[in-house]
Amino acid sequence: MNCEHVRANLLDRLNEQLSAAEQAGLDAHLAQCPGCRQELESTRQVWQRMGKVTAPEPRPQLHTNFYAMLDSFQEAEQAKQKRSWSGIVERIQGLWTSALMGRLAYSLVLVAIGVAVGYWQQGRQTPTLAYQQQIDTLSSQVQEMRQMMMLSLLENPSATERLRAVSYTKEISDVDGQVIDALLTTLNNDANVNVRLVTLEALAELGHDARVREGLVHALSRQDSPLVQVALADVMVKLQEKRSIKPLRKLLQQEGINDLVKSKIEHSIRQLS
Amino acid sequence: MLQVKAGDLNKMGLLFERYHRELFGFLYHMCGRSDASEDMVQTVFYRMLKYRHTFTGDGAFRTWMYHLARNVLIDLAQQNKRSTHHYDLVEYAEKIAGGMAADEALHKEQELATLQNALAKLSDEYREVLVLSRYQELKYEEIARILNTTEGAVKVRVHRALTELKKIYLSIEHER
Repeated sequence: MNCEHVRANLLDRLNEQLSAAEQAGLDAHLAQCPGCRQELESTRQVWQRMGKVTAPEPRPQLHTNFYAMLDSFQEAEQAKQKRSWSGIVERIQGLWTSALMGRLAYSLVLVAIGVAVGYWQQGRQTPTLAYQQQIDTLSSQVQEMRQMMMLSLLENPSATERLRAVSYTKEISDVDGQVIDALLTTLNNDANVNVRLVTLEALAELGHDARVREGLVHALSRQDSPLVQVALADVMVKLQEKRSIKPLRKLLQQEGINDLVKSKIEHSIRQLS
Repeated sequence: MLQVKAGDLNKMGLLFERYHRELFGFLYHMCGRSDASEDMVQTVFYRMLKYRHTFTGDGAFRTWMYHLARNVLIDLAQQNKRSTHHYDLVEYAEKIAGGMAADEALHKEQELATLQNALAKLSDEYREVLVLSRYQELKYEEIARILNTTEGAVKVRVHRALTELKKIYLSIEHER
């Protein structure tokens, strides 16, 4: 046993913490080592003196303070538990007061903005609507003008002008009785064969109109030009106008009728009947 | 303590009655100030209540108590560091020693004051093991559990602390 080992165990020796064998070994060393004996003595001294340093008694306030703390802690704890019960209700209330109200206000503002923008847009649309109305009246005025121009042109001495007038009918979207009458008159009375053919063409397009059909049937007996007669017969077939059979037969009985026209009309009658 | 953990907070009163003196003693020997020690006892018991769910029940209640107490002491040391006067317990012990020195008749008390002074000058690490073994009368095994170390390491540390204490004690006596 060396000194270092002995000195490390001196305190345990003092406190009698060593086993019997260890203590015996230590004591044997101490008996022959004055340095270690001195060391033991100084350790004993310090250890004893340390024991004399005593802590004072804590003041009784410590008691009162502790129990006050314990009480308030328990109260806080109970309050916390209560809160967990009524927590949901409180949370909902909290939502109402803070977050939800904020959101509600926000969405209300959004709705208000939406309504305002809507009104503003409508305000902007009103002029466009008026504009649209203006355009409508304007275009109807243009139509009226075209119609008038056509009607006046049909009475033009120039065949070219009259052809142009007839071609206008295609551009008139809403053909009224006046125009149809004018066209039928042209078909029956115009001196120029070409004008009459073009007029027939225009009238064929308006075949859905009952008055046009009637006029065309009547026109059959009035035509003397073989070209117009053949064209008329074609239109009759196209429109499947059965009323035209009678005038067509009459046409066959006419004197000096073109053979070509005759066979064409006969063919047409067969197709119709 | 397990009952406290389970929700019976009144049982904390029982633990206080049993352990507050021991805890106060430890804190007093560590910091040397009675009022501060009382405050810290209060703090330790408050933390026991607040963090009662961390008490596992594996170790003894005392070990847990010392763990909490050491943490409170560390907090105090950091507070003191922040408020310039480094470690006023040295000042405190010197003041007592000086006061006592004036009274030659009370030689023994002077000795005591010198020892207190020496203890105060000891590093926290050394003073802690000495306080725990001398004043709290804990076995190496218990100290080892508190300090999260081995029994052997505690024994070595106590020995070194005691050697250091003797050295400081003698140097103070020489100054006189």
